[in-house]
Amino acid sequence: MLDQTRQRLATAGLAVLLLSIPLVVRDSYYLHLFIIAGIFVIVALGLDLIVGYVGQLSLAHAAFFGLGAYASALLSLRLQWSMWIGLPAAALITGVVAFLLGWVILRTRGHRFIIITVAFAELMKLVATNWVDVTRGFMGLPGLQIPNLYVPGIGAIDITSKERFYYVVLAGAVITFVLCRKMVRSSIGRAFVLIRENEVLAESLGISAFRYCMIAFVTGAALAGAAGSLYAHYVGFVSPDLFNFSYVTIMLIMVILGGKGTLIGPALGAVIFTFLPELLRDASHWRMIIFSVILIVTTLFMPRGIIFPIIEHLVPKRWRTRHASAS
Amino acid sequence: MQTHKLFRMIVACSAISGVAVAVAQEPVRIGVVQPLTGPVAYDGNIYVNTVKMLVDAMNAKGGVLGRKIELVVEDGACNPAQSVNAAEKLVVREKVVALLGAFCSTSTAAMMEVAKKYKIPHITGISTAAQLTEQGNPYFFRAVATTPMLGEAFGGALPAAVKAKRFAFLVLNDDWGRSMASSYPKSIERAGGQIVATEYFQQSELQFLSVITKIKGSNPDAIILSANTQQAVGLSKQIRELGVTVPLIGEGSWTSDSYIKLAGPAAEGVYGLVEYVYTIDTPINQAFVKDFRAKLNENPSKFAGAAHNAINIVIDAIRRAGSTDSEKIREALKKADYNGIVGNIKFDDKNQAYGQSVYLAHVKGGVPEVVTTAKIAKP
Amino acid sequence: MEILGQHLFNGILIGCAYALIAIGLTMIFGVMNIANFAHGEFYMLGGFIAYYLVSLVGLNYYLALPAAVVLVVVLAVILQHSIFRRLRDAPLMTTTLVTIGLSILLEHVALMLWGPQPQSIPTPFPTKPLSFFGIYTTPLYLFSMAVTAALIVVGHLVIRHTSMGKAMRATFQNKEASALVGIRIDRIYMLTFAFGAALAAAAGAVLGGFIPVEPTAGGIITLKAFIVVILGGLGSFVGAIVGGLLLGIAEALGAGYMPTGWKDAIGFFAVILVLLFRPDGIFKRA
Repeated sequence: MLDQTRQRLATAGLAVLLLSIPLVVRDSYYLHLFIIAGIFVIVALGLDLIVGYVGQLSLAHAAFFGLGAYASALLSLRLQWSMWIGLPAAALITGVVAFLLGWVILRTRGHRFIIITVAFAELMKLVATNWVDVTRGFMGLPGLQIPNLYVPGIGAIDITSKERFYYVVLAGAVITFVLCRKMVRSSIGRAFVLIRENEVLAESLGISAFRYCMIAFVTGAALAGAAGSLYAHYVGFVSPDLFNFSYVTIMLIMVILGGKGTLIGPALGAVIFTFLPELLRDASHWRMIIFSVILIVTTLFMPRGIIFPIIEHLVPKRWRTRHASAS
Repeated sequence: MQTHKLFRMIVACSAISGVAVAVAQEPVRIGVVQPLTGPVAYDGNIYVNTVKMLVDAMNAKGGVLGRKIELVVEDGACNPAQSVNAAEKLVVREKVVALLGAFCSTSTAAMMEVAKKYKIPHITGISTAAQLTEQGNPYFFRAVATTPMLGEAFGGALPAAVKAKRFAFLVLNDDWGRSMASSYPKSIERAGGQIVATEYFQQSELQFLSVITKIKGSNPDAIILSANTQQAVGLSKQIRELGVTVPLIGEGSWTSDSYIKLAGPAAEGVYGLVEYVYTIDTPINQAFVKDFRAKLNENPSKFAGAAHNAINIVIDAIRRAGSTDSEKIREALKKADYNGIVGNIKFDDKNQAYGQSVYLAHVKGGVPEVVTTAKIAKP
Repeated sequence: MEILGQHLFNGILIGCAYALIAIGLTMIFGVMNIANFAHGEFYMLGGFIAYYLVSLVGLNYYLALPAAVVLVVVLAVILQHSIFRRLRDAPLMTTTLVTIGLSILLEHVALMLWGPQPQSIPTPFPTKPLSFFGIYTTPLYLFSMAVTAALIVVGHLVIRHTSMGKAMRATFQNKEASALVGIRIDRIYMLTFAFGAALAAAAGAVLGGFIPVEPTAGGIITLKAFIVVILGGLGSFVGAIVGGLLLGIAEALGAGYMPTGWKDAIGFFAVILVLLFRPDGIFKRA
């Protein structure tokens, strides 16, 4: 009872905090970072379903992000589709591609799975680079725009300013979070964890690992595709750089250091690891050295990531509610 | 924010207390986005060091409008997303009045959207992809000839200059290389040459054996290339190692000191199609080369030349505008009539530079000698 | 015909290097059960250290190459002691993430030490090309081919005929049984890891004479080596050799007769097909 009130209070506080960011943060450079962070929250939550919940290390996540960005950009530039149709279309296309890929690779496990996901990501990059007639290769696709938002009763609202686009991204991130929470707290989520912890047992209970891995894989990819679409329209430009291996590394850092297998962790991880690289801009080599060392140390010694242990260290026990590790 | 500004003013005031009041104003801040890390970092650093050197010299002579010039440099890493972040930061947080950069055309394309959004004049001296100025972005200026302009100016002269008929293209797979392969052939064919092969290589490649072998199979009399220093070194060495002896004609870093030093004997006899070469025989250029050598210990490359043009054109515009208001600077830039190291530069109605000279240089004994000069016509 | 011959020659030249790098990767995988995503960094470091020793220290070229290999082996021993030892019996997710982290770390340390520019190792060989029946090459290319081929043979002999090699193969086949008959597993891990790193470093040092080395070179080399290892079958020594040559030749011919941008796609595409239809490699009998 007390717990529940406390949790509601915390949620309300967080909501006020998130909603007031554009009112408090007048510096549009920081606002820009908050928008990027929001987009990466969606990406990280999707990756967490695959890596954290069903326990499959996919290195194709940046490729799905890039695929969504390209799909949405091409639909917008060639067919003049607005982002409001382009975004679900990008998520759908990415989901279908993930389904086809998953259908062939989710029967394999272990090293083979990881290496095929890398090969797939590299192939996607080669397509973006070499299919010049469609993707314009390294020249990329410029000139994407943020459309008006139509609200019944009010009409068209211009959301191109950062203050307004922030709320669009925030809505996207919150919807994703709620959706993912619903999923992991349902029987699907329990099946995920059982497969991660003991696949043989899960199969003997009649839970098809293939089927649930597919659900996580396709959902995660579709979220990455939707985030890619948001990103493409916000930045206004897509190029094959989106497929670089470094993007998948930073996504993994968000999830692993944030705390895989929880939802709050990767979401916080996405915010922290969007801001940290920018704040450490002047020390660009050092920052990657620091990140990689943290990644190694965290993976070896702190399987729960770094955020929860730090919180537990700082916050006295009686103040803590049962955090989202109720996976 | 307000306190930040106030703090800066206090620092600025206390730093120069005792100096004439006219100087006790905030400096004029110019933002520079160049790749300081990544594959073209070497050339990006040359650009930044040149601008720094020139700005120091200007400040020693009193700066502009009685104020000091302050450079704020950010790393764009030749990556569009990072260049956008850098430009955002420069405009919003550092309050620069003009932007210089970026290096790679894709990064410049992404960055010019930021310039447009905040209405800040933006000049590039390096990115040559034609479509940048075709978009009609009123805040974007290009102080260098596009690749099609170079092709138009020189393509016709190539068959005679290198005594060749069959030309092969071996160019970078990006907008630069692709626009070379689409714009040079017209003028080459008009002059009686023919194109026998067109091959592309990737940005990250350093091993070109297969693609060179393929070009060799087409039996060309001369190979036209686009590459910056590192790939130019690998390409020219490996071309010679596979027994191909025909003349090489390159856009990019083919006449720079660093290329000639690293490529060694493979650089001998190479032709460079360049927007700037340090052997230009004019007093203003010789003075620049002298300062550059004294300060940075090598001969200025075309990136140093690009930096010289860009910073001088901006400062000249600020001086003529008599203000650091970005709208006034933009108007002054439109009316630019600047005489610099490559001759006179004006901007057309799409803000594309014309009137300057471009050069065909031939590397002999490690020194690039100017063979032919052409003027960029008004498009 | 000469052009075809030249393509084949190029393919074998690069293929030998692929094979040499992949041998180490496949052995580390077979013996330690670790997919080492940092393996390409040993190639990169071998090249950079050789460059450093020749260009900046002024060491003789023929001394610098083995010295670079020794230094990389020292690094490998340190890494084995500090990190890889802890990865014994660790889950796949852990080993992969740690090696990915390690590859980023080594790449950026190299960037700090040597800067972003690719560098060529100065060699004492004349640069004038030699021609055999219309196929062009240089003394350096021939030297590189000879060294990589010789090291492949040496590697094979070590694995087949020394007690160390036998112990490695035994560990690969059955860890518990090997431990029971008195093989010191820790020592075998150390030897395998150092041996694999040495071969990759040697490839980097030799090829660095004509393919400039750069800090970011490790990533693509790792991926190529994985392709080879999968083509040849995870853990198979002979498979790595054949797979390496096959990939080198396929890429050379692919680049020669189709748009060159797609050259790298051959390997990735082949990997997906092989893993789906012949998951134990193309040479394993069903």
